[in-house]
Amino acid sequence: MSIPAPADILFWFFAAAAVGGAAYAVTSAHLIRSILAFGAFLTAVAGEYYLLAAEFVALVQIFVYVGGVLVLMLFALMLSTPGESQPSSLGRWSPAVGVTAVGVGAAIMIAAWHTPLPVVKEPAAGRLDHLGQALLGDHVVVFELVGVLLFAAVVTALVAVRGERR
Amino acid sequence: MSALFTFLWGFAMGVILLSLVGGFTAGFILVERKVSARMQMRIGPVHTGPHGLLQTVADMIKLMMKEDVRPARADRVAFNLGPLLTAVPAVMSFVVLPLGAGVVARDLNVGVLYFLAVPSISVVGLVMAGWASYDNYSFLGGLRAAAQFISYEIPRTLSVVGVVVVAGTLSTVRIMEVQTIPYAVLLPVGFVVYLITSVAELNRGPFDIPEAESEIVAGFHTEYSGLRWSLFFMAEYGGMFAASAFATVLFLGGGAGPLLPGFAWFWLKTLALVFVLMWVRWTLPRFRADQLMALAWKGLLPAALINLGLAFVVLFLVR
Amino acid sequence: MTGVVFVTSLLLALGAYGALTRRNAVAVVISLEIMMNAANLNLVAFSRLHTPELMTGQVFALLAIAVGACEAAVGLALILAVYRRYGTTDLDRINLLRG
Repeated sequence: MSIPAPADILFWFFAAAAVGGAAYAVTSAHLIRSILAFGAFLTAVAGEYYLLAAEFVALVQIFVYVGGVLVLMLFALMLSTPGESQPSSLGRWSPAVGVTAVGVGAAIMIAAWHTPLPVVKEPAAGRLDHLGQALLGDHVVVFELVGVLLFAAVVTALVAVRGERR
Repeated sequence: MSALFTFLWGFAMGVILLSLVGGFTAGFILVERKVSARMQMRIGPVHTGPHGLLQTVADMIKLMMKEDVRPARADRVAFNLGPLLTAVPAVMSFVVLPLGAGVVARDLNVGVLYFLAVPSISVVGLVMAGWASYDNYSFLGGLRAAAQFISYEIPRTLSVVGVVVVAGTLSTVRIMEVQTIPYAVLLPVGFVVYLITSVAELNRGPFDIPEAESEIVAGFHTEYSGLRWSLFFMAEYGGMFAASAFATVLFLGGGAGPLLPGFAWFWLKTLALVFVLMWVRWTLPRFRADQLMALAWKGLLPAALINLGLAFVVLFLVR
Repeated sequence: MTGVVFVTSLLLALGAYGALTRRNAVAVVISLEIMMNAANLNLVAFSRLHTPELMTGQVFALLAIAVGACEAAVGLALILAVYRRYGTTDLDRINLLRG
């Protein structure tokens, strides 16, 4: 067996980091470590985006998710937890849910195994130009609507946090 | 085999950048002590080595020999990760800086976005450091630092977007090449906003309420001693050089200049901006936390938006 | 490319397990975000497969990242409001609507 290409090695490295981080994040009782594992997961996914020739999406992922959502979760956790470690967080239904989740994941994997997926093409050369033109050209309506959605989310979050103090 | 070579080249670049940032930290700490001393009408360190040049070396040796103290109830993982998560993104942001005419670790086609996005990872480090120290003052300092950082991130990004609009590219090397007139002349508002927000992002100068020595003990790095503490300072001084270098590339034209080679001009401009940052720190009094937030949201954000509008006007005039 | 689908389906399963099982509200938000990221990864990968010039998958993924950030923000604001009202974020104990 020949030495795999470095892109493949990196791909499986990031994939392992993503799966490991996600697994730790959903099973750990210690919430701060769960959030840190989620941070590792997000960075691994950003690496995967980069390997899939989507550099802009990778950096936006780091900007928004690691630099924004992760910090938001840390703040929310620190402002809403009386102690520093939670009791065991697995409920009564964990085994059933676990089996179902594994079953659904396996079903998707079996379907993917039997589906003939096309060969990977070379990434386009002027990628950023194409992305900009697509975003502000074909999909400009959705783009603007997402802007409105972001505005609505900001207002909602402010109102929800302010509460009934007035 | 070329793939292996690329990997080794990247690894070598990483080692070089890390040593570079370490060297900058050591050098700039000494420069800052001398500059601040002269501004305060005193001399600064003169005893260690000729004219006090070995002072930072002596400080580094002292820090390495200090006892590694950790608060007993601190979460060990988070306590160790805090300084790392703060310092490593500062070093990572050096990858897209052209240190000289075209000497760049890697010319990413999204270089500008990389430089803006990667330091935002250090917010997580700040919050971790503050929380893991199991200390009210550290925690408050960490939360304040995080709030300050994310508030100033937005005007910083918008001021850089103005330059990207006029240049038409996200690659730092290309922006240096297409600048016939320095963008500080075409977009002065953006230049000023970028400098102010960079000072705020580094927790420096008049924006250093998170680590204010007279108010909150030492903020989020109260409980850190020895080499861990020096990691925070590597983040600050390395980040200072990176922000100045980025401003030079984006706004002052990089290596352009009449007589000297590009390399020399780049370093002159960057070191001049570093001097300006140090000057501002030792001249202006500290902002209060609410004044700081008001400046970001009510002052710099509208200014950056106006700058973006002006950038489109400039683009229309230039093309 | 089947490798990518394997990874994303595994992440989806992990996220679904976390969303249905965890007692802490912030942990549930984390699991939901894991699922969203798995879906985005799938989108970007398939965009690379079919028509890389159109970049449809990447545009979709960018907008989905924005929507996911909104969802996390509103969700965490609600969690803070709930904490203020009930004093706990343990989802098993917030059961006033239970019949």
